[in-house]
Amino acid sequence: MINYIPILNILILILFSFIIIIVKNNKKVKFISLASNIFVFFLSIILARKVLTQNIITLSLGDPNNLLGIEFLISKPEAVIGLIFTFVMVMILWYSNFYLEKEVSENRISFFYLLINILLASLLGVIYTNDLFNSYVFIEISTLSACGIIILKDKKENIKATIKYLIMSTIGSGLVLMAIAYIYSITGHLNISNIHEIIITNYQFHRNAVLIILGLFTVGLGIKSAVFPLHSWLPDAHSSAPTPASAVLSALVIKVYVFMLIKILFRMFSYEIVNSFIIMDIILLLGSMGMIFGSIMAIMQKELKRMVAYSSVAQMGYIVFGIGLGTISGTAIAIYHIIGHAVTKSSLFLISGLLIDKTGSKKIEDLKGIGKEMPFTLGLFTLGAFSMVGIPILPGFISKWYLSLTCIEVGRVPLILIILASSLLNVLYYFPIVINGYFGNDNLEGKIYKAKKIPFINLLPIILLVISMVVIGGMSYNLIGLFNI
Amino acid sequence: MDILLTNYFETGAIILFGVGFATLMLHRNLIKKIIGMNIMDTAIFLFFIAKGYIKGKEAPIITDSFKGVSNYINPVPSALMLTGIVVAVTTTAFALALTIKLHKHYNTVDLDIILRMRGDQND
Repeated sequence: MINYIPILNILILILFSFIIIIVKNNKKVKFISLASNIFVFFLSIILARKVLTQNIITLSLGDPNNLLGIEFLISKPEAVIGLIFTFVMVMILWYSNFYLEKEVSENRISFFYLLINILLASLLGVIYTNDLFNSYVFIEISTLSACGIIILKDKKENIKATIKYLIMSTIGSGLVLMAIAYIYSITGHLNISNIHEIIITNYQFHRNAVLIILGLFTVGLGIKSAVFPLHSWLPDAHSSAPTPASAVLSALVIKVYVFMLIKILFRMFSYEIVNSFIIMDIILLLGSMGMIFGSIMAIMQKELKRMVAYSSVAQMGYIVFGIGLGTISGTAIAIYHIIGHAVTKSSLFLISGLLIDKTGSKKIEDLKGIGKEMPFTLGLFTLGAFSMVGIPILPGFISKWYLSLTCIEVGRVPLILIILASSLLNVLYYFPIVINGYFGNDNLEGKIYKAKKIPFINLLPIILLVISMVVIGGMSYNLIGLFNI
Repeated sequence: MDILLTNYFETGAIILFGVGFATLMLHRNLIKKIIGMNIMDTAIFLFFIAKGYIKGKEAPIITDSFKGVSNYINPVPSALMLTGIVVAVTTTAFALALTIKLHKHYNTVDLDIILRMRGDQND
């Protein structure tokens, strides 16, 4: 029975999304969506417990002999990522239950929950699947539903951002499908494990084709996961979307594609094959550029949500950097950063939503003195910012520390300078908000202590996210040990 | 050159892919971008289906009697591309719907002009 949980997770979410369309009452819609997501979260816990003792679960769908290769494969990284993603989604839904009316009109609220359910189902599908064509279909579903949750806020800038996102990701999915066509033509399989067996013996005879496939996958999935020079759609889309949607997009959606890239590079090909091509150096270069330029562009932003969105570009740089090192430990840290950043960035976006709502302004400069009015909320923001900057124990520090160790391990010591520079740049855009919020006599003048207090129950999802962030930081040693692809 | 001519399906598909990709990247008009997107997808469908096609063989639908495995083409690519077509149609429909909305708000479908306008100027 436990073996069927992956497909159950996806089916439950899609089934409940169809129920949501029928239900007219917004309160019931919220309850159904939250309940189905909590159920999926508990199923993910059971699945993760099983996988941690048993290593790998495969579930082949369709034919029993697995001739077509349609199957789900859940090893430890998939199980943990699925667990964290469903947890973050439950917290975001809890938050949006009392927040969403502020940004989205009444008659569109049920669409948000409908799309969120489909989105989480497709994200879990991309994570679990071991079949290239299935992953393509899931990627397309997730892109369309992600576009849907951006456009819920019916403003001009949302439509502009959505069309930009849609066109960019269409290019990306076209390239991915072309890569799948190439790999099918040289191996005759679509199942990642079957392709691996064939390609590991034959890749010398198809070096050009393999290089083209690697390039197409990297660019195609890179566009969708906003790797540095291909990120131009991200800031618009993530900053204009309603806040819970921005949190979902920034914390979960872009991560899934980069995880797919990890599976393709290291599970479908192998470390040996990909390291014999120039592609890993290019990925490393893109990651380094993203870490630096993403932070520089974040410093120049004047709006809070735009700044947090650009910070996502920089953080994607860390993940891609970890992949580009081309070692088992580098990949493990990339996966660790995926979950660490999912928890941190979702809490940062949710807090920014509260801050923007209470001050009534999107601008960073209007947040001066907010620490006196909302001390506890800004305190949570500070913890998230500490993680981004790299204060010990928090996940951001752990990623940076282990990335540096891996750089030394592979003999590329100068790369540590890039990590250091990126951390310092992170300080430059996160700390002014915290410092201007808490300190400075002119900032605090005329502000009343706890004037804009938020009820504790509404802050609870964010508090849980921050606690889980600290726990993920504390358990880092055990977690990184699990993530070997 | 010979290789290109013998594999004329693949050559044609790659040329079409290039045409579609260039249209998608270089044109400013949104409708033309969507047309380019469709050409690109069609090129991939052609490429994929050509991989399963064997000259002179039938589609694997048994009408009178089973003629042996070697007399039929590979059905998997065709089946996959059926899904691919569905995905492409959905994306096109969504993109066209967005274009209508965009035209309502901005009175143009030229992406350059739209991107130059600040979104919150006349909200």
